[in-house]
Amino acid sequence: MPESIKTLEYDVLVIGGGIAGGESALNLADIGYKVLLVERDLTIGGKMILLSKVFPTLDCAACITTPKVSEIARHPNITIFTGAETEKVTKLGEHRFEAVIRQKPRYVNVSDCTGCQLCEEACPVSVSDQYQYGMVGRKAVYIPFSIASPRAAAIDIENCTLCGACERVCPTQCIDFTQTEERFLVKVKSVVVATGFELFDPLKIPRYGFGQYKNVITSMQMERQLAPTRPYNTILRPGDGKMPDNIAYVLCTGSRDKTVGNPICSQVCCMYSIKQAQLLMGALPMADITIYYLHIRAFGKGFNEFYAQAQDMGVEFVKGKVGKITEKENGNLILRYEDIEAGQVKEAEHDMVVLSVGVLPNRGISETFENQKLELDPFNFINQTDILASPAKTSIEGVFVAGTASGPMDIPDSILSGGAASAETTSYLRRAVS
Amino acid sequence: MARINPEFTNKLKSYGAFDVNACYNCGNCTAVCALSDENNSFPRKMIRYSVLGLEEEIEVSLEPWLCYYCGECSATCPRQAEPGELMMSLRRWLTAKYDWTGLSGLLYRSLSASLSAFILLAVAVIAFAYRQDFDPGRLLHYGHYFEMIAIAGVFAVILLPNLIRMWYMTIIKTKTKVPAGNYFKALGELFVHMFTQKRALGCDDNQVRWFEHFILVIGYLTLLFTTVFLDWFASGSSFVIAAGYIESAVIFTITFIFVLSRFNKKEEVSKHAHPSDWFFVIWLFLMGLTAFFVRLFIDLDLLDGNIWLYIVHLIILVQWALIIVPFGKWTHFLYRSFAMYFQKVKESAK
Repeated sequence: MPESIKTLEYDVLVIGGGIAGGESALNLADIGYKVLLVERDLTIGGKMILLSKVFPTLDCAACITTPKVSEIARHPNITIFTGAETEKVTKLGEHRFEAVIRQKPRYVNVSDCTGCQLCEEACPVSVSDQYQYGMVGRKAVYIPFSIASPRAAAIDIENCTLCGACERVCPTQCIDFTQTEERFLVKVKSVVVATGFELFDPLKIPRYGFGQYKNVITSMQMERQLAPTRPYNTILRPGDGKMPDNIAYVLCTGSRDKTVGNPICSQVCCMYSIKQAQLLMGALPMADITIYYLHIRAFGKGFNEFYAQAQDMGVEFVKGKVGKITEKENGNLILRYEDIEAGQVKEAEHDMVVLSVGVLPNRGISETFENQKLELDPFNFINQTDILASPAKTSIEGVFVAGTASGPMDIPDSILSGGAASAETTSYLRRAVS
Repeated sequence: MARINPEFTNKLKSYGAFDVNACYNCGNCTAVCALSDENNSFPRKMIRYSVLGLEEEIEVSLEPWLCYYCGECSATCPRQAEPGELMMSLRRWLTAKYDWTGLSGLLYRSLSASLSAFILLAVAVIAFAYRQDFDPGRLLHYGHYFEMIAIAGVFAVILLPNLIRMWYMTIIKTKTKVPAGNYFKALGELFVHMFTQKRALGCDDNQVRWFEHFILVIGYLTLLFTTVFLDWFASGSSFVIAAGYIESAVIFTITFIFVLSRFNKKEEVSKHAHPSDWFFVIWLFLMGLTAFFVRLFIDLDLLDGNIWLYIVHLIILVQWALIIVPFGKWTHFLYRSFAMYFQKVKESAK
C-alpha cells in the first residue's frame, strides 16, 4: 500500500514549542497568521515549564509558562503537533516553503483523553521518568507531568508489554494501539526555527563521578527537586534519601572547557546556581551552600544585586575550579580544588554535589533543510547572519531563528528573541503581500 | 614591587612551552595534580608567574622540580594551555638559569647550536683517533682516561658551581634561615630521590613508567661504575664482563621503549618532545648499544679489525659527557634530587 501523505497549508511553520517558539507563534497568530507549531516532545513548554523559579525575580516559572502555554494551545490560529518531527524543509522560492512533518503515534486519542490517570494506575510497567530527570519512575503509559500541554496520556511503546491493562480501564476508550506514523506535507510562507538547546551530559567528565556517585546530581535534577511538581516533595539526596545539609555547586561543568568541545560560556549557570542556592536556603534553612566558581558572570538587569543577595544570605562563594570528586563510604563527597585566593590546593567534604551543567546546541535541524544551507556558527548553534541589525535572520531568507537555537541565553532573552523572530517574520510576510 | 614582563612567555616558547596565555586561572591543573599539596600547590601559580613574567619568583622556586609530568593537568586543562608542558619548559629554563656558563640556555633555545656542538665534538674525536693512527690499544686507553677526567672535570667545573648557584637562588635568596644541622638530617632525602625517584610513584597509574625509569637509572649508574672504575672493556673478570653486558642491554632496551612511546605520543608526557628530550633518550640508547657491541667485539676478537665501532662509541660518549650531561637533560636528574633535598631542608627550617 503506498503511503498516503496529507497536504496542509499554513502561513508560518514554527519548529520547536519551547518558550521562544511559543512566543513567536503567539505573536504571529495574534496578528492573524495561521501558524503550525511542531514540537518533538509530548508537551509544549520546552525546558522552562520544568523549572522551579526564574532569576533574578524568583517568580514561579510554571506560573509564567502555564498561562502562556494554554493561550498557545487554545489560540484559533495555532495548530500544534506534539510528538512530531520535521523531516525536511525545502525552499521552493520566496514565500514558498514545503516541509515534511512526521507525526509519531501516541497510541492515545488526545481529544478523548480526560487525563484521569486510571491507565497509569493499571499499567504494570515502571521505567525511569525522563521529565523528572531519572529521579523517580513512571509507567509505560503516562501523562508527562501534571501541567503538560496537552495533558493527555501517551504510551511509551518501547517499554510497553502490550498487556492491554490500560485499554481495559480507560473510561473514554481513547487508547488505540492501531495508530501508525503519519506524514504531512506542509506548505508555508516562512519558517521559524526555535529548537532550543541540550544540557551537557556530565558523564563526559568522569573525574566528577556523575553516574558513579549517587549524590552527584545535575543542576536540572536539583531544579526538579525545587519545582512545584517536584518528585520527592522535599530536597533529598538520591544515594540514601538523607536531607542534605552541606551542598556544593560545581560551576562551568561542560562550559568554557575545550576538552569537552564546548569552549564558550553558557550564560545561565552562574545565575541559576545562585537562584537554586537561595531557594535551597529557604527549603533547607540549616543547610550550608557552597558555590565553586571561576568567575561569577552576573551581567543582566538585577543580576549583580541577586548575587549580592545570595552572599548576604550566607551562600559561600569559593573561587576555584573543582578538579576531581571522590566518594566517601557514607556517600559524602570530597571535592578537590585550588582555592585561588589562597593559592592552595584544598579538599572539602559535602554531602551532595550539584553539577551546574552547561548549554549545548541541539543538533540536527540544519540537516533537515534540503536545497539551501542553514548555516551554523563555530559552536554549532544556528548562525545569525546579521546579528546586530537583524538578529533573527539566518542564512536562508524567510527562515528565522528564535531563542537558544542561536546560542546560550536566559529566559527573558529567549522571549525577546522569540519576539524579534516573529517581528522579522511578519515583515518578511508583508513584503509578500505588497 | 613586581614588574610585569609580558615578553617572558615568548622567551619560554623557545624552551618548549605552549600558549600559556590561554590560561584563565581556574586552578583545575593544581586540583587534579596528585603531587600537589597544601604546602606546594602547583602548577597554576607557576603559570601565573610565567604569564606575568615574574622571572625572579620562578627563579627562587623549587616547584617546577616537584612535578613529574604525569600529564593529568594538560589532559584536563579546560583552556588546553598545557600546564604540564609549561612545567617541563620551566625546568629547562631553570637549568639554563643555574648554569653559570650560559651554554645550557643556548643549547636549549637553538637546535642549530646543539647540532653544531655535536658535529664539532664528532670531528674532534675522529681527528684525535687519526692522530693516534687508529690504534685500538691506545684509543681504548685514552677513552678510559677521558671518562675519568670528564666525570671529575664536568662535576667540578660545571655541575658543582651550578648546584651552588641553585642553592643560592632557592635558599639564600628566599631568606630561609636554615640551621647547618638540617643539611645533614635531610641528606637521606637526596639519595633516596636520586636513586629511586620515588616521588614519581605519587602520580596516578605511574608504576610501570616509574619502574622502567628506576631500572634505567640503576642500569646507567652501574654501567658508569663498571666502565669507569672496574674498567669493563679491559677487565678479565667474568663477573664484571657479564654485569656490563646486562647493564648496557638494560639501557638500550628501556630507552628503546621510551623512544617508541615518544613516537607513538599516546601518553601525555610523550606528546611534546623538545629536541633535548630526543637527544637524551637517543644518546643513552646509542651509548648502551655501542658499549654492548664494543665489548662483544672484544670478546670475539673482532675489535682490532673494526676500530670504527669503538670510535663511534667514543663519539657518542664524548658528546654525552660534554654536552648532554653538563648542559642537557641529564642535569634534571641532579637538580631534581637536589630540589627534593632543598625542599626538605626548607620544610625542616620552618
